[in-house]
Amino acid sequence: MSASTVPPVSRLGRVGRTIGLSEPALEKLHLLAKDSRTTWRLFRSNKLGLTGLAILLAFVVMAVLSGPLMSVLAYIGGWDQAWGPFDIDPSADKEDDPTSEHWLGTDTYRQDILSRLIYGSRVSLLVGLVATVVSMGLGALVGLLSGYWGGVRDEVLMRITDVFLVIPWIALMIVFAAVLPGGASVGKVVFVIGITGWSSTARIVRAQVFSLKERAFIERARAIGADDLYIVRKHIFPNVFPLMFANAILTVALSILSESTLSFIGLGPDSSKVVTWGNMLEDAQLAYAIDQGLYAWVVIPGLMIVFVVLGFTFVGYAMDEIFNPKLRKR
Amino acid sequence: MRNMRWMIVRKAANSFVTILMVVIMNFFLFRVIPGDPLMNLRGNTRVSEEYKTEFIKEFGLDQPIYVQFVKYIENVFTFDFGNAITQPLTPAMDIIMSNLQWTLILTGTSSIFMVIIGMSLGVLSAWKRGSPLDTGTMAFSLFFYAMPTFWFAMMLIVIFATGLNWFPSANALTPGTSLEWSLESFKDLLNHLVLPAISLTIGSIAAFSVIMRGSLIDVMTEEYITTARAKGLNESQVLKNHAVPNAMLPMVALIAIDLAFVVGGAFQTEVVFNYPGIGWLTVEATYEKDYPLLEGCFFLIALVVVIANLFADILLIYMDPRVKMG
Repeated sequence: MSASTVPPVSRLGRVGRTIGLSEPALEKLHLLAKDSRTTWRLFRSNKLGLTGLAILLAFVVMAVLSGPLMSVLAYIGGWDQAWGPFDIDPSADKEDDPTSEHWLGTDTYRQDILSRLIYGSRVSLLVGLVATVVSMGLGALVGLLSGYWGGVRDEVLMRITDVFLVIPWIALMIVFAAVLPGGASVGKVVFVIGITGWSSTARIVRAQVFSLKERAFIERARAIGADDLYIVRKHIFPNVFPLMFANAILTVALSILSESTLSFIGLGPDSSKVVTWGNMLEDAQLAYAIDQGLYAWVVIPGLMIVFVVLGFTFVGYAMDEIFNPKLRKR
Repeated sequence: MRNMRWMIVRKAANSFVTILMVVIMNFFLFRVIPGDPLMNLRGNTRVSEEYKTEFIKEFGLDQPIYVQFVKYIENVFTFDFGNAITQPLTPAMDIIMSNLQWTLILTGTSSIFMVIIGMSLGVLSAWKRGSPLDTGTMAFSLFFYAMPTFWFAMMLIVIFATGLNWFPSANALTPGTSLEWSLESFKDLLNHLVLPAISLTIGSIAAFSVIMRGSLIDVMTEEYITTARAKGLNESQVLKNHAVPNAMLPMVALIAIDLAFVVGGAFQTEVVFNYPGIGWLTVEATYEKDYPLLEGCFFLIALVVVIANLFADILLIYMDPRVKMG
């Protein structure tokens, strides 16, 4: 059956036709739609995955709509204003318990902790996502090259990977963050987390490439004259991608944990310019919040980290089961 | 047998290369990137001029970069990182060594509990797979896996130190005292150790229980387990004599790899509890921009972790008969 005799019936197909896509492109679109429907069906039956997705959606809403959310809360609570994360309330006490104006209290600079908590979701999520893109990109590149080349070049790349795999991430992160120039910017934090987190991805991708390389379809492609770049792009990468996808989601969870740890140690972004849950906890520690009994300041930002990491971990495990059918059978 | 020896030699060579890479990375990170390595020293008023000149001469900092590199390699393999900048009269390695004991006490105690509790939980939940016990254990493990260790440590302080006042919230001993061979001193040590050890243990338990569970579930699907059942062994015999020993194999490799994870937990725990170990020292060194100290800490950690991994690899070669035969 060719694509022209069986017109795609999906809604996506009809949309594709009206905007004038060619038949092969339509067929591809149709297959993609079918694929994603299957994936969604499998995902929907996974309770853990759905719970994770719900948690993540809540956090995304919180990050995107931080401003409006604060306005609504200000209206409900009858506050003087919808406090921003860096707004100073001169009438509030410094490092104070929760009041009707500041539901979670105020920090050392008389800033509203609830507001910082809500706005904090932005950078915490952003750093987690971007750092993951950096480390997955680097890991995929090294893994693909290493697996595809083999031989001496593979050996060299793997010895470098070993360094990053074996040395504790926290020691690597601290050394990089302490020595690299650029102060305590968000970009540097992303770079440091990215550069310390790529090694396991490289290992996974390399192993997959090694097993793919021996398969007949790669040999066939080579026989009809495909060059290296084409084979990697068209045959190897699409086969490696599903494996990386689940891994990427779990890496986001780890990156968020790394950011909070780095910030807590004092190597994260400056809390007077950028607010993350990690540097809120650093501020709390520096202000001896526990000794002062300001528990909301210490407990709530930590809970945020726990829930967002759980969200990504649940979705990651669910994805792993969908894309690695071997696990499903067990 | 020859094959086995060859594998060990190869693993050892790889480990040596890894260490060498760390040394090279150290050299470039600390000397090349921050520009002038003396910048901090020059600006440091606590250090005398004579000391600075001697420092430059001792480390050959007035020499070309390749001469410096050779000198550097020599220094690293004699554990000579120079004197700490914050304590100019003390070699960095002496400070590190005196802090090492606390890290060993903390990680040693926690590791024992981590392995025993983590693996038992893993075995239990794999054995009772799908039961409420399994779900509960996995939920517990995931919850603590998702939790930043430093925050868990803070919660322990909130509840058990400032709240209930059962244990002290900081330091390894009561300030002003030092470790002695007496019952009082030992009690004091334990009293200060409880919360940090709980923090580190619980924070890293998940890795062990999740992996043990997965490994055991894999083994349980093997045919020799069915055979064992068929010849009439009861479930606990199957588990004890056939399943667990085989599931241990991947665990050995992973215990070493997880060492990196444990070190991460130890860093955070030490910082929160002001526990004067290597992790605490590393963080202090970054605050003070004490590069000789930071370099020494980093190198020592790398060395220990690489050697531990090599040890696990060799152990695995001896434990797995398939490797010997191959």
